[in-house]
Amino acid sequence: MASKFLASPIRRFLAKAHRPSASWPRHLSTAAAAAEAASSVYEDPDAGIVMKGVRISGRPLYLDMQATSPLDPRVLDAMLPFYTARYGNPHSRTHLYGWESDLAVESARAQVAALVNASPKEIVFTSGATECNNISIKGVMHFYRDKKRHVITTQTEHKCVLDSCRHLQQEGFDITYLKVGSDGIIDLEQLRSSIRPDTGLVSVMAVNNEIGVIQPMEEIGKICKEFNVPFHTDAAQALGKIPVDVDKWNVSLMSLSGHKVYGPKGVGALYLRRRPRIRVEPQMNGGGQERGIRSGTVPTPLVVGMGAACELAMKEMEYDHKRVSSLQERLLNGIKEKIDGVVVNGSLEKRYPGNLNISFAYVEGESLLMGLKEVAVSSGSACTSASLEPSYVLRALGVEEDMAHTSIRYGIGRFTTEEEIDRAVELTVKQVEKLREMSPLYEMVKEGIDIKSIQWAQH
Amino acid sequence: MPPNKRNVEGCCTAGTFWKLKLRASMASAAAKTPTRSEVLSLFRCLLRTGRDFCDYNVREYTKRRTIDAFRSNRSLSDQQSVSAAYADGKEQLAIAKRQAIVYSLYSPKVKSIMELNQV
Repeated sequence: MASKFLASPIRRFLAKAHRPSASWPRHLSTAAAAAEAASSVYEDPDAGIVMKGVRISGRPLYLDMQATSPLDPRVLDAMLPFYTARYGNPHSRTHLYGWESDLAVESARAQVAALVNASPKEIVFTSGATECNNISIKGVMHFYRDKKRHVITTQTEHKCVLDSCRHLQQEGFDITYLKVGSDGIIDLEQLRSSIRPDTGLVSVMAVNNEIGVIQPMEEIGKICKEFNVPFHTDAAQALGKIPVDVDKWNVSLMSLSGHKVYGPKGVGALYLRRRPRIRVEPQMNGGGQERGIRSGTVPTPLVVGMGAACELAMKEMEYDHKRVSSLQERLLNGIKEKIDGVVVNGSLEKRYPGNLNISFAYVEGESLLMGLKEVAVSSGSACTSASLEPSYVLRALGVEEDMAHTSIRYGIGRFTTEEEIDRAVELTVKQVEKLREMSPLYEMVKEGIDIKSIQWAQH
Repeated sequence: MPPNKRNVEGCCTAGTFWKLKLRASMASAAAKTPTRSEVLSLFRCLLRTGRDFCDYNVREYTKRRTIDAFRSNRSLSDQQSVSAAYADGKEQLAIAKRQAIVYSLYSPKVKSIMELNQV
């Protein structure tokens, strides 16, 4: 009955809201108003957006799912009650607020555990995959520092893993960085031969964030089980996208991230195997929350969001995978039909379809990115894009400097539409053709001159 | 869970009480099986609510997912799965209605490029 009374005002409200001119009156708080005035962003429904000297007519289409993913509305719906009425601290044992928060955190834990085929007791919530990687690498090695002094990892790992290993190296541990082939996959024989009696950890990421290749996790797990070495994997990009099973992969530690599975930013989960038990030294000391491994108040809304996102991922994985594969084919074929000199970095078969890293020959990378301002893509990963040098992952693949500079990473996700892919293809092709027309190198290639045989005059 | 003392008053024994409760719940489950027009009405409501989202990607996703989900569930025949799917659909409709309002409250002034060039 009450719904009838609510229905017409809601309909009227939504109709008003949908009209582009009549947006909800923006009475910003003083802090927000000051921030907007101070920033040099100018937004106007007619003139578009002007920011950092660039003018675009509308918000760019988002093809950067590896950097972060938009929040799914169903996840937001699960989180909002915990920001409004149910704001209790889950560690308060004495009142309803604490009990309901605790219940929510435990059910979120079960949801995350279900997606990776683990027990809820093996999941520890953290602030993100970077913190999980830090706890795994530094925590495990510090705990076993008397007996184990060696860590094996790969050259294409995430920056936080490589930085933690560098920190361990400064403390006196030995690190082996395994080389990858030109397809991005590690050599299992090399891994087998690198394992020493004092190897304390093998860390290989499941799906690479820059090139999207999937490492042979089951085989690595078998080798680690054979030599009884703990196996850590950074599954931030893999969660919810490919089937993740801690028993099949034989992992002892796994880092998971919330904002790559259409969940909130600022939350992650660490999987710690209980049988056989892996011990870590905590990096955050305090009141002993999360079984002493990560002290600090568990952020209920974020954790609930991550749980909801994981449950959704489990339900939608097959549908999303099929769709993303077809969109990737559409993107790749669309670009290859119109222009040549397109190289896909990394293996095309053993790859998560939502990550497409392409290099365009005879094109300069920075100018290509600046021309593609209506498409939100990235070259390399967000962590390394601050510096000018090409990404270390591409260098590890053996990609030449000039091709590494022109690499673009397209990230396709659940919310990407066919029209967005077609528009991205159109814009990319237009920009590449424009740049190649201006390029003297391309002219020479078209005439048949081999670029590598040119003797450049030194001035 | 032990039966509430008040409910047991009218019944002979606890056993009969539970049998009656079970029969009643089964009858109500049978009554919950949606009719064809109810399912179609849910489908239309979901599509209509999806259109109200201000965000281009969420709008397209809702439309696409609704159509694909109803199409794949078309072949469901047994009562329980049909009622479960219908109940799930109703829940999703409630979520969509709430989130359409929330998204409209914080929609950016400038629309996505995909929407502008369609006009």
